[in-house]
Parts: sequence; structure tokens; C-alpha cells
Amino acid sequence: MNGTATCDFQPKDYKSDLKPIWCPGCGDFGVLQGIYRALAAIGRPPHEIAFVSGIGCSSRIPGYTTAYGFNSVHGRSLPIAQGIKMANPDLLVLAAGGDGDGFSIGGGHLAHMVRRNMDIAYIVMDNQIYGLTKGQLSPTSHKGLTTCTSRHGSLEEPVNPLLYMLAYGAGFVAQAAPTDLPGMAAIIEAAIRYPGFAFVNIQSPCVTYGMEEQQLKGLKAMQESLEGLGHDSTDRLAAMDLAQHYGRKLHLGVFYRNPEPPPTYGDLVKARQEELSKNALPVERILDLFIKK
Amino acid sequence: MSDQSPAHNLVFGMAGSGGDGIVSAGDSLLQAAAAEGYHGVMTKSFGSQIRGGESSCRVRISTEPILNPGGNLDVAVALNWEDFLKFGAELPVSGNTVVIYEAATLIPPDRIPLVGVVPRQVIPVPMTQMAKDTAGTERAKNTVVLGLIAGWFGIGAVAVMKGIRKKLAKKGEELVEANQRAFDAGRAFAMANPLRVNMNIVPSETKGALKLITDGNDMCAAAAIFAGCRFFGGYPITPSTEIMQFFTDHVWKYGGSVLQAEDEIAGIGAAVGASFAGVKAMTATSGPGLSLKTEMMGLATIAELPLVIVDVQRGGPSTGLPTKNEQSDLFAACFSAHGDVIRPVLAPTCVADTFRITVEAFNIAEYYQTPVIILSDQEISQRKETLDPIDVSQFEIIERLQPNAHDLKDYKRFAQTENFISPISHPGMLGGTYLASGIEHTEGGAPTNSGTVHARMNDKRTRKFDPLKDRKDLFEVLGNPSAPLAMVAWGSVAGVCREALQMALDEGLNVKLMVPYLLYPVAEGAYREFFASVRKGLIIEQTHLAQFHKLLRMHLDLPAGVRPLARSGANPFLPGEIVAALHNLLSELQRRHEGKLQPQE
Ligand SMILES: Cc1ncc(C[n+]2csc(CCOP(=O)(O)OP(=O)(O)O)c2C)c(N)n1
Ligand code: SF4
Repeated sequence: MNGTATCDFQPKDYKSDLKPIWCPGCGDFGVLQGIYRALAAIGRPPHEIAFVSGIGCSSRIPGYTTAYGFNSVHGRSLPIAQGIKMANPDLLVLAAGGDGDGFSIGGGHLAHMVRRNMDIAYIVMDNQIYGLTKGQLSPTSHKGLTTCTSRHGSLEEPVNPLLYMLAYGAGFVAQAAPTDLPGMAAIIEAAIRYPGFAFVNIQSPCVTYGMEEQQLKGLKAMQESLEGLGHDSTDRLAAMDLAQHYGRKLHLGVFYRNPEPPPTYGDLVKARQEELSKNALPVERILDLFIKK
Repeated sequence: MSDQSPAHNLVFGMAGSGGDGIVSAGDSLLQAAAAEGYHGVMTKSFGSQIRGGESSCRVRISTEPILNPGGNLDVAVALNWEDFLKFGAELPVSGNTVVIYEAATLIPPDRIPLVGVVPRQVIPVPMTQMAKDTAGTERAKNTVVLGLIAGWFGIGAVAVMKGIRKKLAKKGEELVEANQRAFDAGRAFAMANPLRVNMNIVPSETKGALKLITDGNDMCAAAAIFAGCRFFGGYPITPSTEIMQFFTDHVWKYGGSVLQAEDEIAGIGAAVGASFAGVKAMTATSGPGLSLKTEMMGLATIAELPLVIVDVQRGGPSTGLPTKNEQSDLFAACFSAHGDVIRPVLAPTCVADTFRITVEAFNIAEYYQTPVIILSDQEISQRKETLDPIDVSQFEIIERLQPNAHDLKDYKRFAQTENFISPISHPGMLGGTYLASGIEHTEGGAPTNSGTVHARMNDKRTRKFDPLKDRKDLFEVLGNPSAPLAMVAWGSVAGVCREALQMALDEGLNVKLMVPYLLYPVAEGAYREFFASVRKGLIIEQTHLAQFHKLLRMHLDLPAGVRPLARSGANPFLPGEIVAALHNLLSELQRRHEGKLQPQE
């Protein structure tokens, strides 16, 4: 993370005046708290933070956070976040959204985001359902799920976001759940601090169209900390092995963290700018390039 | 052109197979012409193959500034007839054309496969053989062609070889010498076989004056960087890709960056993000890409973010004619996106004014906090022109309005102001945090469902453009201002019409031409003023549906005698064809005057 001066901030300093319109009990409330805590721990002032989202219940989150927020269009948080980061590498850039936003309509951006390794943390609130449009099948819904667009049960396998990200080569891949608020806040903080693209999948239940109370209990029962398992988070292959359990076991913690982070895109951009600016014509003379002598 | 006196203007058309070096010969000819002080325009055209296949170019050289590649050819060079004929309408031969062709085809001059025309003179030349004999390789036949041109038409005698020498310097003296021999052979052939009529071009008066040579895409990118653009996000698509290429070559030098994104949506998305972060940003594309970008264009409109989008038009719909010119993205540029949207659309008419229009697009985008479309076209973007140097110091650069300390006390990003333009903060600015959003929002940026707020915001977002319509400098009227006969044309077609206007005026027609640079929002006032004296007129455009004619009629009543001269497809309008259409209108007007025609209105 690019840092300027940090000061003492409390989680409440990142809380905006808008009152969340999420359903009572929605997991996203917890995610919001986790983000406040993580930002306070990092201590960057709100005006140096750009928080971008797409569209969905979860994508409302920048509106509830004091920062420069951008609630954009469905599936496109990552391209916008990249433009912001390239335009001003000194900002702390966060992107967030839902599983539909990130893995369905915006799915094509993921691989390229990873490839470019920009210093951006991306948080997905994975509720395995489309919340805002009232309960349709999402790319992470399990096979056979009955929804209003899959009345006889879905025929598709879910995507595995963790495995995707590891396969694309992301330098930081983690999973968290608001059922463990301190653990989630710590993971978000670590993702933001990771110098490069960092991905956090948060199991954030939709209590209205997704999980019944029964299932929520089941979720808790599935929960298992990676640390407790003795997982070595510098081992990408071990991480992939564990990631295969996505949907069947809720592993919480850092799956993979590249111990030797490569230069970020921003570093490379800066180097190129420095190298090429040495032989720049003054911009008022740029048309001299077209002189044929 | 009279048979005796030298020409002020020559149009060369050449065609051959991919490896024949036709385009490179055209480049050399244009550069030589510029070095000798002439004005010139060069267009090139290819078959649909990726590599190989047929290619052609037109080079028009003139003692006066020119804004279109001209009509019928004065000189046609066919390295092989099959390829030449593929470019039928792009390389039109008339009774005034001198035709030079490869003698190895064994076709006698009176049997060349040109149907319905008897050219002025037809000369077979054993170009391939001459190249082999002098340079030891067939590949030098384009240099032979340049020698022939130098000999017969008096252009490039010195400058061509100077250019070739520079280009080949790295490859060794031997190659330069070989080309010199090929060139000399061509010239000698021409000297030994003089033309029946003198077709030399008048010596230029501005020999040695500095000239720039470039095409519309490079000019657009350079102008953008000059205007302060420091971020480009895009995805390759013909014929716009060169804009991104120019950025990747140069923008880093000025502290900027460029992103070749995974698709058009990401390209424009990154530009939207950069603009949100406070940096001037641009994206460029062609029709299919514009379709993909529309949701983001709506986003930039409602979030009131400055952004310049270049659409280099090609034939549509869908993949259409990727390498050929059309003006049929007009409706898409003005209207695509849902909801009530106005976004300014500007169009350059030639390479030279691409500079001004691009700078203007950034200024408008920044001032009004809005996406702006530059509607360029394949013809302008890919043709090369010689230009006189541009005094860039005369251009003002406008920056977006930022909040001052007072605004930041209780900052409202979308504050309703007198001119509907609100100061815009960007990340890093203390006190300026706000939520940018595609969802409707209050003055403070909070999402809202209120229909009242929505109506007020729509009003803000559309009425802010009213002053733009009063910008007289975004319209040009040429010819007789009170003429009853009129033309309106935009984009590359306007360049053809400028010449048609001059031809018509020379023939004594009482006619005028309007060239709009601002296409949308439609400046009703400017057109009303223009049409006040008009009884008959043509809206001239390269579309099938007469889109511009319809756009104007949506906004104002045109005189009943004003009708479209519209056609789609690749074939450019020819000045002569437009003048003929004007004559038709004029005779209608006269007949009506004589009472022979009942008024139709
Ligand atoms: C281009 C486009 N297509 C569809 C929609 C409708 N839409 C809004 S949110 C959404 C899905 C939201 O699901 P998810 O991203 O999982 O977020 P959640 O609401 O569950 O948090 C859809 C399909 C839209 N706004 N834009
Ligand atoms: S619909 Fe589901 S995801 Fe959306 S706010 Fe309600 S509980 Fe949360």
C-alpha cells in the first residue's frame, strides 16, 4: 500500500451519514463494520481513500463509508478502480461488490485485474444469490438451488472464486465471514496492506433471499480457521488444495500471500514515466513529431 | 486542366498487390510533395486480407490547400489490372486520365480492361523488368513508378530520392544505390516517352516552407496530450487503434499512462475512474466498441465526469465495413444510452482541424463536466495530409471547476448553481469526499428515489449545455451568406463540399455551405439563421438513412426544398457529383420561378 502520513482514526470516522437500507440481519452490516475497523487500523484519512463498487445490495457499501466513493454500474467496479489507481497511485483504492457483480457480469475483468497487479484490495460479499434483484440464481449458487429463475433447481455448477483467483495468480487470496468480526477486520486490513492486488471473499449471508436460519447455523458449523489447520499461506498449491472445498467447507483466513510480492503495476508505470520523460519534447512542441524534413 | 498550361492540382491513384509497395510509394510521393512546398492528401485502401491481397492509394497534390482526396484520377498506375479494378469506385478513371500500367500483363493499350472510358493516354511500362534490370529485384518497382512520376509530372525529382535515402540509410548504401538506379530508369523512360499533353504541375511558391504530415488519428492523440489528457483507456478496433498506439508511444513522457484494457467497457471504465481521480481522460473506439461503451457513457453523464470519447466511424451496423468510411454512427453518438441524456458531439472535417476539435472536446468536457464524443471517420483518421504548422499558443486550455475553501465547508458535489455547473472535488482533496454514483442522487450525492429530485437533476444535467448552442465558432458558413441555394455537410464529407462550393461559385451559382463542428446538441439558432435565405438545399452525408437530415428535422423546420443527398457505403462523394446535384436544384428553382412547377410546400 502506498502510504502518506497516518493519524489516529477510529472506526466511526469512516462511517458516513447515510443509513444503510439493507434488510435487518444482512451479512453486509458486519462487512461494513469490518471495513471501518480495518481502515481505522491503517489510519489513512478518508479523503485519501477511493472506494468503488458496482451494483447490488453489497455495492451500496461505499455510500455508507466516509471516503471518495463511487457506486458505479453493474460489474464494473474493477475497471474504474484501476483508472483511479493509475491516475493517482498515492490513493488507497478499495473495490467491493457482490458475487453476481464480480463473478458474473464483471467476471471478465478478474483475470486481467490480477495480471496487472495493481495495488487494489477487492472485497466480494458472496451471498450466493442476487439480492438486489430479489433472489435469482448467482454464479456461486450451489447446483440444484431453487430460485425464481431456477424453479426446478439450477443445472449449473457454481464458480469457485478462490480457485479462480489462485489460478489467475493473485498475490493475496483470503476468505472471511462476518460471524468472526475481528478475524474479518484483520483479513481486510492485511489485504489492504498487501502491496499488489488482494482478494477477499466474504461469506456474507442474504437473510431475505438466501439463507434460512437453519442454513446460517450450518454456515457457522462449517467454519474453520486456516490458521488452526496449520495451513502455510505461502504455499500456493496447498492453498489451491484447500480452496477446492469452497461451498462445502468454510475455511476462514489467508489462503495465499505471496511472500515476495513482485513490483506493482504502479511501480512499473512510475519507472516507465521516469525513463521516457527524459527525452520528451515540451508538450507545446508535440506537433514537431509530424515534421518531415 | 488545359492541355498546355501546367496543372495546379494532380490526383494520382495507384493499385497493386500487397508486396508491390504501393502505399510506401504514395508516402514517398506525399513527402516529396511537401518538401517541394505543395499541399497534399493521401488516402489508402486495402482489400479485406490481413496481409497480402490488393492495396491502393490516392495521392492528391496541389498548389492550394486541399481538404479532400479529389475526384477522378489524373494519373492511374496499375501494377496489375485485377487489383486495380477491385478499387473501381475509389480510383475512378475518366477521359482525362493518363493510365500507366505494367507492360508485362501483355495487354495492348487499346484493350485495357476499363469499361466505358477512353483515357487521355495509355502507356504500358515494363516496370518489373526495369526494376530487375537496374536494382536486381522486383521489389524496386515502386521506385520505378516514382521515377516515372518525377519524369512525366515534374514532382519529386530531388525530394523522392532524398526521402528514400533517409528511409534506407540504416539498411546500407547498396540498397540506396539500387533504388537510385531504379528511380533514374523510371525518369529516363518518362523523358524518352513524353506525354501527349503537358501535365507538369506548377512549381510551388512555398518551396522549403515547413510542413507537417500526419493523419487524423495521430493528430487527435497529439492534440489530446496537448490539451492535458494524461490517461487513455481503450481496446483495439479499426480504424481507431492508432490513437491508442500514439498514447503508448508518448503519454508516459508527460507523466500520464495508458491501459490496453480487456474490452471496451473496461477501457472506458478506467477512463471514467481516472477522470473521477482528477485526471483528463480519453477513450477511442469505432462503432461496435461505441455500442459497448454506452452504459459507461450514461454513468459519466449522471456522475457529471469529464471524459472524451473518440468514435472513428466505419461502415455499420455490427462489424459492417471495418476499413471503409461512413457517417452512420451519428444517431448512436447522439442518442445511445438510456434515460434523458444530452452529450456534446463534435466532428472534425479534416486532419488539420482535428487538432482544434480535439482540444475543444477536452475544454467542453472539463467545463461542462460531461462526456463529449468526437465523431471522426475512417477517411479523416487514416488519410495523411500536409499541414502548415499550427500555432498552439492561441489555444486556451480549460480546467474543470474545483471547489474553493468556501465550497468545501459544507460541500455539495452536485450543488444546483446558476449555470448548473457544480465545483468538482477529487480524491485527495480534504473536505471534498462524496459519493459519485450512477444512481440518482441529491445535491450532496446521497442516493435517492425521489422523482422530484430526479426531475431537477435531469434539468441540471441537460440545461447546462444551453450556452454551447450559442457558440458561433463551432459553425462555419462559406459562400454567399444570402444565397437561396445551400449545402450542409459535416465530417470528411464537408471537405468534399468545400471544393464543390468553390466549383459551383466559379460556375456562377449563388450558393452557400454550412459546416457544423458541433453536431449535438442541435444549435437551432445557427441553422435558422443559415436557412433564412434558403429555398433549395442539400444535407449531404454518407449514411443510408439520412441521419443528419433527420436529426436536424427533429429540432427545427427546414425549408421544404431542403432534402438529403445521402448514401451509405465506402465510395466517397465526388465534388463534381455534388455540383451536378446543385445544378438540378437550381433548375428546379428556376422552373418554379418561371411558373412551370407548382409549389410543393
Ligand atoms: C447491466 C445491468 N444488468 C442487470 C442489472 C440488474 N442487477 C442489479 S444488481 C444485480 C445482481 C446483484 O447481485 P450481486 O452482485 O450478487 O449483489 P447482491 O445484491 O447479492 O449483494 C442485477 C442483476 C443492472 N443493474 N445492470
Ligand atoms: S436482500 Fe439480501 S443481500 Fe440484500 S440487503 Fe437484504 S439481506 Fe442483504
